[in-house]
Amino acid sequence: MENEKQESKEEEKKGSLNLSRRDIVQGLATVPFLGMFGWSWAKKDGPDTSASGPVIETPKEFTGKELNVAMLGMGAQGQVLLNSCLRIPGLKFKAVCDIWTDLNLKRAVNLLTKYGHEVTGYEDYREMLENEKDLDAVIIATPDFWHAEHTIAFLEAGVHVYCEKEMSNTIEGARSMVDAQKRTGKLLQIGHQRRSNPRYIHCKKKLLEEADILGRITTINGQWNRGVQPDLGWPKRYELSQEKLEKYGFETMHEFRNWRWYKGLGGGPIVDLGSHQIDIYNWFLDSKPVSVMASGGVDYYEKDTHEWYDSIIALFEYQTEKGTVRASYQTITTNSSEGYFEKFMGDQGTLSISESANKSGVYREVSAPPWDEWVNKGYLSKPEKKETPAAGEGAVVDVRETASPESHTIPVELNDPYHQPHLQNFFDAIRGEAELNCPAEDGYETAVTVLKVNEAVEKGITVKFNPEEYVI
Amino acid sequence: MSFDKNEQTIGSGGIIALTLLRILIGWHFLYEGFYKLAQESWTAKPVLNGSKWIMNGVYSWIADSPSMLSFVDSLNMYGMVILGFGLILGVFTRWLALGGAVLLLLFYLINPPLPGLYYTTPTEGHYLIVNKNLIEMMALVALVFIPTGKFFGLDRFLYAFLKKS
Repeated sequence: MENEKQESKEEEKKGSLNLSRRDIVQGLATVPFLGMFGWSWAKKDGPDTSASGPVIETPKEFTGKELNVAMLGMGAQGQVLLNSCLRIPGLKFKAVCDIWTDLNLKRAVNLLTKYGHEVTGYEDYREMLENEKDLDAVIIATPDFWHAEHTIAFLEAGVHVYCEKEMSNTIEGARSMVDAQKRTGKLLQIGHQRRSNPRYIHCKKKLLEEADILGRITTINGQWNRGVQPDLGWPKRYELSQEKLEKYGFETMHEFRNWRWYKGLGGGPIVDLGSHQIDIYNWFLDSKPVSVMASGGVDYYEKDTHEWYDSIIALFEYQTEKGTVRASYQTITTNSSEGYFEKFMGDQGTLSISESANKSGVYREVSAPPWDEWVNKGYLSKPEKKETPAAGEGAVVDVRETASPESHTIPVELNDPYHQPHLQNFFDAIRGEAELNCPAEDGYETAVTVLKVNEAVEKGITVKFNPEEYVI
Repeated sequence: MSFDKNEQTIGSGGIIALTLLRILIGWHFLYEGFYKLAQESWTAKPVLNGSKWIMNGVYSWIADSPSMLSFVDSLNMYGMVILGFGLILGVFTRWLALGGAVLLLLFYLINPPLPGLYYTTPTEGHYLIVNKNLIEMMALVALVFIPTGKFFGLDRFLYAFLKKS
């Protein structure tokens, strides 16, 4: 009775529409779902500044010396390095710096805060240097043309530096970094991270130096074939002001986002991609090339927004202690066939290696002495015989062909992110527990080797390397 | 064709379940719409270009015509947002359910998983003729015939208003 009265009262109130309370409750019953939607939309990680990161195991208890670390440059590469660093124990992040304050900087600060670091964010590295007086190390992942200035400033402030490759976009820049390192006596690690990859170290130390399984290396080929990628864009609401762009050396937002393609800022694909692998050529051969010729150009992309060559095929000549080695390397950005790898060929075998997992293999020439010793020592997996083509299916084995070699795999895999061991090596070196795997001099040699490829394309000539150019 | 009267009542449990179904589908539309809107440069172009089967010609034509493409893009994004809001709130429920079903049919026809058609872009599951677009479409068709908004949703006010006049 009471209820009915109430309801009829409600009806009276609403007058003409005859709505009962029940009508209203049911009519609006689903509105809260919109609220839920709004809440989850605001919560979700998007192309915005909320802290997002990989699932990272908390580093195990650490008893050594805790290092105070800062990061400079929090773009794509900076984030990759940060994610690796978060897996390394004994680091205390104090400061991060990025000129894209609303996006990159905010994201980095949020992520580090989430992992319990008390960090200060800076737009200008000079301000960071002024305020942060107790830094042990800095990780630099800014565009190439900033590397020299940033690295030298921190070295001179007494801070050890991990600087991304390419060391610099100019040979002079790279040279001044080595000078600064020598002058200050601080550590300078260059980010050629394959030098700390256990698989690469195994190949260099065990397979090449100890077992010498390839015999006389005569030829190398390598490639980084990458498919077409659109230019990097940016959310309009996070656009930097023209004034700010120019203050930091960029003319347009497109330049800021796609600096790797611009002359004077980056070095193009041969430097971004090739540098990693040509560094391995030099390292594995313990040598530097005497000459390079190269064919390349902006063949595919828009020339006014892609000043560096999108396709390059380069040929190096090395004079090693064992004799001449000819090496080809190609980087193309229009097709991803077979990805990236480096392949060393000697008269006794082939070593094909790649940073990406499951792509490496070692093949013994049929005429070579057996590798049983190395298999027994665990340097190589047991051989797998390649299947011979079945007869009668159009496969004719010509007398000029040699039988296919046995194939082995390398029993060492990296199960951490690619950059983690290299960063770990840097921090170990600071604590005096290791030697740097890629000190400034090595980075410099690679910078010279790679930057000369662009020169060879530009001038259309065979560039001879002057031995003095490698000497600092 | 008609059924026994008893078989036609779906009961309050049925109404609540179907209302929830309507809300879930609305949510899905709303998020798809918002997500696309949030990506400043979203376009249906690559999807349309990958179209196979009978609609291939029409979809390629849309993809290649900038004005048609931008019209279709906006229609898509705003359409989905409107469908999302409408289905969650339960307003013009049956009309929106019909519109959503048509939209989903158009999506289905872009790349239907028919035997003999091969797609290089991977999908998140495995389908033969029936995929989630088709199922979601059929769920909306069901909602065209069952006026859930009349029970839970702003349509309740609409019905009250119509009854009055």
